Amino acid sequence: MGYGQAGECVMSSLAEMATIFLTPRDRDAVLGDLAETGANGWNAFASVLGLAMRQQMELWRCWQPWVAGSVAFAGSVLLLGVSFGLSVDSRHLLRGERGYGSMLCEALLMLLWAWTSGFVVASLSGKTRWVSAILCAIPCLSCVLRFQDTSLSRLCVLLFLLPAVVGAVQGACRARLSHRTALTLAIAMTALMFVWDGMYMRNWFLLLPAWWLVAHAERPKLSN
Amino acid sequence: MLGEFEYVLITAAAGLGESTYGAAIREEIEKVAGRKCSIGALYTTIERLEKKGLLKTWMGEATAQRGGRAKRMVRVTPKGMQAAKEFYEAMMRVSHNASWVTGKPESAS
Repeated sequence: MGYGQAGECVMSSLAEMATIFLTPRDRDAVLGDLAETGANGWNAFASVLGLAMRQQMELWRCWQPWVAGSVAFAGSVLLLGVSFGLSVDSRHLLRGERGYGSMLCEALLMLLWAWTSGFVVASLSGKTRWVSAILCAIPCLSCVLRFQDTSLSRLCVLLFLLPAVVGAVQGACRARLSHRTALTLAIAMTALMFVWDGMYMRNWFLLLPAWWLVAHAERPKLSN
Repeated sequence: MLGEFEYVLITAAAGLGESTYGAAIREEIEKVAGRKCSIGALYTTIERLEKKGLLKTWMGEATAQRGGRAKRMVRVTPKGMQAAKEFYEAMMRVSHNASWVTGKPESAS
C-alpha cells in the first residue's frame, strides 16, 4: 500500500469516526451517499465534519441554546460562591458559631438552585449540552485553580456540581415537570430564600430557573 | 419566504419525482444549477425544510451500492410546493423589468 492509499484509508476511517457527531439516521444516510458517490479519503472526512458543524451552527439560530448557555455560565459563577459560603459555614457550625437551622436552609437552597439550573439548561437545549458544560466548567476551573484558602479543600467550591448534573440528566430525559411539582418547588425555594438570613441580592437570579419551570410545566388537560 | 438554496432543493426534489433521496438531489442540483452542493448544506437544509413542514423524510431501504446503508427518502409536501410556487412567482414579478429579462439595454444613470 502506497503512502497516498494509506492516507486515504486513514481519512476514510476518520470520516466514519466523525459520524458519531451525527444522529443515527443522518449517519446511515450520509455514509450511504458517500459510498454511492464514491467519495472517500479527505473528501468524505470534510463532508462529514462540514455537516456536523453546520448542524451545530443551525442549533444556535434559536434562542434556547443562548439562554441555556447563559444560565450555565451565570449559574455556575453564583453557585461557586454559594458552595464556598456553605463550606465556610459548615466549619463555623462545627465550631458552634452557627445554628443548624440556617445551615440546613443554606444547604437545601444550594441543592435546589443547582438542581433546577441543571434541569433548565438540559431541558432547554439538550443538543448543545456540551457547550453549556464548557460554559459551566470555565468558571469552575478558574476558581479551583485560583483558590487560596488553605483551611479548606479547593474542591469545596464544586459542591453544587453533583445536584446540577443530576438535574441536567433528569432535564435531558424529561423536558418538563408537572405543574404541581414545579409550583411547589418554586414556592418552597422562594420561602426558603426569605427565611434564610445569609441571603445576597445576586442569589435571586438563581430563583429564575425554578419559576421558569413553573411557566413551562405540564398543565393538566381540562375536560369539558 | 424560502431562501434561494431552499427553493433550488425543493425544485430539484420535486423534479425527481415522488420519492427521491439525498445523493440523487445533490447530483441533480450540481447538474442543473451548475453549482457545488456539499452534503452539509444539503442535509441541514433538508432538516430545516422538514421542520417547516415543506418536506417529509423517512428512512428507505439499504442497497449494496451504498455499502448496506439506508437512504433518507425525501418528498415535497403540498405546503412545500405552494412555498416554491410563491417564491417562483415573486422572482418573476421582481425580475419582469430587468434588462436581462426584457432584452433592452440597461439605461445609463
